[in-house]
Parts: sequence; C-alpha cells; structure tokens
Amino acid sequence: MSILLKQPTVLPGFGLTLGFTLLYLSLIVLIPLAGLFVKTSALTGEQFWSAVSDPRTVASYQLTFGLSFVAALLNAFFGVIIAWVLVRYSFPGRKFVDALVDLPFALPTAVAGIALTAVFSVNGWIGRYLEPLGIKIAFTPLGVLVALTFIGLPFVVRTVQPVLQDLEKEIEEAAASLGATRWKTVTRVIFPEVFPALLTGFTSAFARALGEYGSVVFISGNMPMRTEITPLLIITKLEQYDYAGAAAIAVVMLVASFILLLIINGLQWWSGRRQVAF
Amino acid sequence: MSIDVRNVTKTFRTFTALHEINLHVNTGELIALLGPSGCGKTTLLRILAGLEGPTTGAILLNDQEVTDRHIGERGVGFVFQHYALFRHMTVFENIAFGLRVRPRSTRPTNETIDEKVRELLKLVQLEWLGDRYPRQLSGGQRQRVALARALAVEPTVLLLDEPFGALDAKVRKELRRWLRRLHTDLHVTSVFVTHDQDEALEVADRVVVMNKGRIEQIGTPEEVYEHPASPFVYDFLGGVNLFHGRVHEGRVQVGDLNLALREQSGIPDGPAIGYVRPHEIDLHRHPGEEGAIEALVGRIQPVGAVARLEMVRTDNGELIEGEVSQQQWRELALSTGERVYVRPKSLRVFPEPVE
Repeated sequence: MSILLKQPTVLPGFGLTLGFTLLYLSLIVLIPLAGLFVKTSALTGEQFWSAVSDPRTVASYQLTFGLSFVAALLNAFFGVIIAWVLVRYSFPGRKFVDALVDLPFALPTAVAGIALTAVFSVNGWIGRYLEPLGIKIAFTPLGVLVALTFIGLPFVVRTVQPVLQDLEKEIEEAAASLGATRWKTVTRVIFPEVFPALLTGFTSAFARALGEYGSVVFISGNMPMRTEITPLLIITKLEQYDYAGAAAIAVVMLVASFILLLIINGLQWWSGRRQVAF
Repeated sequence: MSIDVRNVTKTFRTFTALHEINLHVNTGELIALLGPSGCGKTTLLRILAGLEGPTTGAILLNDQEVTDRHIGERGVGFVFQHYALFRHMTVFENIAFGLRVRPRSTRPTNETIDEKVRELLKLVQLEWLGDRYPRQLSGGQRQRVALARALAVEPTVLLLDEPFGALDAKVRKELRRWLRRLHTDLHVTSVFVTHDQDEALEVADRVVVMNKGRIEQIGTPEEVYEHPASPFVYDFLGGVNLFHGRVHEGRVQVGDLNLALREQSGIPDGPAIGYVRPHEIDLHRHPGEEGAIEALVGRIQPVGAVARLEMVRTDNGELIEGEVSQQQWRELALSTGERVYVRPKSLRVFPEPVE
C-alpha cells in the first residue's frame, strides 16, 4: 500500500504534520495517562476492586457524573439563550455581556469557588434570602451543581454563537413565508442547524465539569457520601500516600469519561452526517 | 389575485428607499421590477411579501388591505436570491415544509403531502432528487427546489427576488425560459426583481423600471424598450449612444448633424441630449446632404449576426457604438482607422437635466 501513500497531493506535509500530531499527543496526553495505568498495575485485582468499589467512592462517582451531566444540560439550555441574545439583539452593554461570558474561563477556579461560597452561604448575598425558603446551596450537592454550571457556561455559548451568527436571516424569512409559526421556525429550522454545535458545547462543558476540582472543594463542604466529588477523593488518597489507590480511581474516572465522550462524539457524527452530506 | 400598491413610502432612518410608489398588478400577470442595485426594487418586493412594512401607504391583495398582515397569512410564495433552503432537510422535506408546519386542523395527511411533493418535484423536473440534500445540488437545481417549496403552499402571489442572480449565464437563460413556461401553465400572479434588462424584457408581461426609489416607467417590454419615458429608462435598457446638442425651433443640432425633432415633442430650446441605440445607426462613407457626425473607426467585432464597431468622434473624441448587419458590413468594407459618417435613424431627444 506504500504506493498509494506516495501519491502526490495538493496539500503536502501530511507526513510531517501527522508525525508532529502523534508526538505531541503522546507527550502531552498518552504518556502521562499510560503512567496512570502503570501505577495502577501495582495493585492486585482484589485491591483494585476494593479501592474503586468502596461505597464512599461509588457515591462520589454518582455525584460527579450526575451533577456534571445536569450542569452541562443547564448550560446547554441557558447557553443557547445567551448566545441567541448576544447574536440577535443589539443593546447597550452587549460587548460587556459578551466579555462576561468568558469570565469563568479566565478566573482561577479557586477564586470562583470562594466567591460562589461567599455569595451562596447562609449569610451571603443570595444565600440569606434562600435560607428562609428552605433552600441551602453552599455545602450541599446543589452548591456543587452551581459551581459546575459556572465553570461550564462559556463552552456552550462560544460554540453556538458563531453558528447562530452564520445562520442566514433568509432561512427564517422563508420559513415564515411558508406559514411556519415562530415556534415551528425555531424548533424545525433553527434548532436543527444549531444542534451539532450545541452538542459540541455540551460535551465540552460536561468534560470540563467532570474534571473540575478547584471551585467545587470550597462550596461543597466535602462531606463524604454526600458532597464529595471524585477528584477530591483522589487528592485525599494522594495526601494519605495511597498513590496506587488514587490511580485506580483515576483510571475508572478516565475510562468512564472516555466512553461517555465516545458516545457523544458518535451522536455528533450521526447528527452531522445528515447535514454535511456532500 | 391582483396586487395594488398605494402611495407606499419606505424610509430607513434618513434614507428614503421608496417614494410614493403606486402600482397595479393584474391577476395572472408576470411583472418584472427592473432597476440598478439600490433602486428600491427589492424593498418593494419585501413590502409586498410582508417581510417589511411600508413607512406610509398600503398594500392590497385582491382589493383587500393586507398592509398589517403577517407574511404567513398573506398567501404569498417567496423565492430568495440565495435559495434559503433548509440545509438539514432533504429536497423532499424542504418542499413538504410548508404543508407540515400547518396547524393540525388544516394539515394534509402524510399521503396527501407525499403526493403533492412528488407532483411538485415533477413540475420542477427534479423527480429523482427528492432524497438529496440541498448541498448536493447545483445552483439551478436549488433554485427550482426553492420555487417548488414556495409553490407547495399554493400561494396566490409568487414573489421572486433576483431568482437567477446567483446563477451562471447559461443556466440563467434556461431557467428564465422555464419560468416563463411555468407561469403560462400555472398563471399565478408573479412579481420578480431583476437588474438584468434582458431577463426582464424576455420573461415579463410588463416591466416596471425603477430608479432611486421611484418608478420611471411601467409598460410592456416593447413599450419600455421602444418608447422609453425617460433618459434613465433609455440608458438602462440596453446599450445606448449619447449625443449632447442643442434644440432650436423644433430641430436639434449635434455637431454637424441637424435633424428635425419628432412631432410635438415639446422640448424647449436649449441644451439637450439625444439617445440612439447602436443598431439604430446608419453608417456612410460620405457626409450626405443632411449632415452627419464624422468619426474614425476603432475596434471592430465582426462576429455573430451583427458586426459591432466602436467609433471615435473627430470633433470631441466621444465614443459611438454601432451595430450593422453582416450584409451591410460587407458592403461598407470598413477597417480600423477609416473615416465614417454616422447618422442616427431615430434620435430620441430629452432636455439636458439641470444639475
């Protein structure tokens, strides 16, 4: 097959760039991750199992994956609305709001965590009004959700925004001229166009939330079985010099995340295939 | 369904796109709105459709005022210059869209929709492309899908915004003939916007020539071509030669040429501009008795049914374009650099506009 590969192409540099890509990915991603597996191999099967299936650990998986998913869903919903407002309407301070969206990217997560805790704690700005209603945010799973939503917000907005921007106004006019109501235009014409980008944004927000540590540890209170996220558990293990145990949990997290991302990518491929059918 | 436009004015902030437009379109007519870009023709079309509202004035469809009615309730089909097809839907679904989004009470059954779409695909001659996506089609095919989609809701008025503007010359020619035939078959009142005078003259029953937000002339293709109402219309409908001259007591003097004005043209004495189309020019090797404009032959293009040539006036260096039949061309046997005498067969004179 070497003959096929040697065929001249109008886009030279395939070999060079692919080599670079592989090298780069190996150094930055694959080798550190492989280290994780190597470390885990120090454990026997039984030890591994007891490390990863400990009830406290399982509770942390549920919390982390469950809340990350919910946070990504929330971000998908509100992110689309924010992107829509930013693209469709011009209002004073739009540039400012636009810049605000990126703040969760830029802010150190610990700062975000402390700020959110201060605001949502029982005597914080917002927390004090929620308290009488029986809603506690800081130091509950709800607080974790707030933190995870906060850090994931820019992903959806930033992926959906350009797609909305490129959407021709005529498409909506065409739908209206064909008798579609505004609602039908949005659900049948605009949403399908935006969906692939939305899925990308959702995936990024989800992935980001899975790995989030800094902002959550402040607001969650870190109560075992209740508000303890998996990344924190890993840190705890590391602090107890249980490196192999930490690596074992990390491997579970890694594999689960990878499978989830694969599934979402598959979805994306499926939805994209319908559209970009050249 | 007839269309009436009454005193429609449209302003965008400080810019007035349309000034007091009045227009009547008869049922079943095919009308072209013709003009250069920025003349307001697309704005007028969009106001007819309900995509935009007039600043003042009214739109009537079948003698019913619809000015404030939403586009979806006007029963108009709109075809966009860049097709505006739904990318994520197949051709079939694009055409079916208008039927599928109807409220449940008036929505046809799936079988009826199916049948209707197949019928339309046949009408636009794309039966075999139903399950393709718009991206897989050529420009001409896409525009036909857009047309089928607009026709699916059985509009009483069809509005087309530069429908062939984005297509190459050959496809364009084909499609406009096809549109003409389609209109003859369906007889839907149609208005289309174009900046291409050939297209307007070939396709439309009547042509509305627009300039700077005003209607310059409304008439059949023959009327607007043969009897332009204004210098603008003359200029816009095909190539034209301009002669600056003076009107004096019913005669016009252009260089050495002196011609009697046609009937009672009512043109006051003073500076005037004469218009003549390239094919309305007589060429001679001698000045003759009436006098003629002396010129030197420039570039010659003897290809095709007519020979085209450019001439440069000897008195002021202005360019004259001429077209003569091949037979005449052989008789004249002119070549570049030779002296020639130009005499217009008919000169249309307008007073020089006061700047």
